[in-house]
Amino acid sequence: MYHNSSQKKYWTFNKEANLENLRLEANQKFRAKALSLRKPGISESMFLDPHEEKVLFRHYEKRLLDFCTVFKPAMPKSVVGTACMYFRRFYLNNSLMEYHPRTIMLTCAYLSCKVDEFNVSSTQFVENLQENPAAQERALEQILEYELLLIQQLNFHLVIHNPYRPLEGFLIDLKTRYPLLENPEMLRKSAEDFLNRAAMTDAGLLFSPSQIALTAVLNSAARAGLNMETYLTECMGLKDEKETLSKMYDSMRRITTLLKEYELPKSNEVNICKQKLERIHTEFNSNTSLKRKHGYEDDDHVVKKPLVTEEEWTDEGLDLL
Amino acid sequence: MDDQGCPRCKTTKYRNPSLKLMVNVCGHTLCENCVEMLFVRGSGNCVQCDTPLRKSNFRLQLFEDPAVDKEVEIRKKVLKIYNKRDLDFPSLSEYNDYLEQVEEIVFNLTNNLDVENTKQMMEQYQRDNRDIIQRNKAKLTREQEELEEILLMEQQDLEMKRLENLQEEQRHLHTKRKNKQALLDELESSHLPASLLLAQQKERAAQLGSQIEKQKQNVKPATIFSTGILMGQTVSLAPVARMEEALYQYQPLQIETYGPAVPELEQLTRLGYLNHVRMATQQDLAGGYTSGLACHRAVQDAFSGLFPCT
Repeated sequence: MYHNSSQKKYWTFNKEANLENLRLEANQKFRAKALSLRKPGISESMFLDPHEEKVLFRHYEKRLLDFCTVFKPAMPKSVVGTACMYFRRFYLNNSLMEYHPRTIMLTCAYLSCKVDEFNVSSTQFVENLQENPAAQERALEQILEYELLLIQQLNFHLVIHNPYRPLEGFLIDLKTRYPLLENPEMLRKSAEDFLNRAAMTDAGLLFSPSQIALTAVLNSAARAGLNMETYLTECMGLKDEKETLSKMYDSMRRITTLLKEYELPKSNEVNICKQKLERIHTEFNSNTSLKRKHGYEDDDHVVKKPLVTEEEWTDEGLDLL
Repeated sequence: MDDQGCPRCKTTKYRNPSLKLMVNVCGHTLCENCVEMLFVRGSGNCVQCDTPLRKSNFRLQLFEDPAVDKEVEIRKKVLKIYNKRDLDFPSLSEYNDYLEQVEEIVFNLTNNLDVENTKQMMEQYQRDNRDIIQRNKAKLTREQEELEEILLMEQQDLEMKRLENLQEEQRHLHTKRKNKQALLDELESSHLPASLLLAQQKERAAQLGSQIEKQKQNVKPATIFSTGILMGQTVSLAPVARMEEALYQYQPLQIETYGPAVPELEQLTRLGYLNHVRMATQQDLAGGYTSGLACHRAVQDAFSGLFPCT
């Protein structure tokens, strides 16, 4: 449950500014590291600035979502949400310039399939890439290479609480305790849409999944021209707690703003950033391949050594020692 | 079940109940006959692992698993060197570490893991701790001597008691016989009627009997328990001073959910929640699933963390 989860403890932040700071820190860390290599022909202007990183991040996040929606067999929503959240958490503390989002994105999806018990084999997974078998093989190798790194960067907090189940909970609760609303099912469509859009914002790092789900419900009701304030005051027992109520409205407003502010980056902007990113990756990361570092291939050290043949070992022998 | 048997001649305990299995340092079994045959010259190689062995090192296999025999043998040897005792260590945890190390060595040697290093380690240890080992060896023998002394004393005691009992019995027999003789003499020489004499005799016999009984009871009571504790000594039977500890008090689990109260799982039906979820099919129910579980979880998730934390 969310209230005693690692998500609440370690991955829910108070302000947007905190998130921005973390991203800036990651960006600067990479810059410092790259500059310390003292390669010829490197200038500050080569690197992506935080805004460009954000543009690319959004672009690859969208690609991750697209990949998940066309995935065969169809992925459950919670798997998609988990993958998105992994991606978001990973690049909170890492720069896009250090790890290429193309691989991390696939690794996130692969890991979330595993964690959320959506059983696909690794070959089945890469078959969803529109590539030839050799390229698929290579992609799989990369995924496996980065999987452990991803888990480590997520600090081994793999359980993600998505807002989808809370939404179901609210719908059940509305049907049971809020007869004023005649047909709660009609809220579902646009509420789910809201959640899908929320997955592409920082809402999951700032608010609890139940708050996001409630916002989705109330937002959907508002669109249908319904006022559900009495649900909060009567059913949630907030009648006499004006402060909590106002705080809740405040956070709901913040969630809605987050969603409204979201816009898909323009393709020409993305292309410029992509070129920059590729340059950086060929410059800095070509030789520091992670390959054979994470122990998928070099398993032979596990193979048992041949048994040492036993020598004669007698009482006398020991007494002589 | 595969019977225990000799791996060379394939004789089993079932076919030959008097089969004697032997085991050597490598932990592989051979029957007595095969040992006689293969090791005529006193040494040879193990049939199974080619380890050079000596005939004199064959032991009767005591355990079903020959590996246990091997371990026992190895342990005996290791403990000859690693004979420190808890008094040799400043703290219990160090002693425990030491025991752990001993177990590690025994395990390694038994399972042929890292044999070279382990042996080297043992040699090193023996060189470093030569005098402690010697001292402990001496101490050990002294302790054994004491034990033997006690045993000897006990034996002597028993012997003495036995002799005493024997003497006592002989004395009784003697008096009985004397009485009988006296009766016969009296019957021969007295002028009193025989019946009276017989009655007198009976009385005397009864007296004697009671006397013997008394004597038996008078046997001086043992002053020592078989455990060696003096009988008079009052062993303190008072319970060890009780430690005062507060009893565990059950506190119902309190979880802050940062949200409105969630209805209990049992009340979902009564409150009407279950009218709005998919009914569990017959197949679902077989696995222990009820629709209430899913419903409860959804509502729980919906309410958890709903209110903003202050």
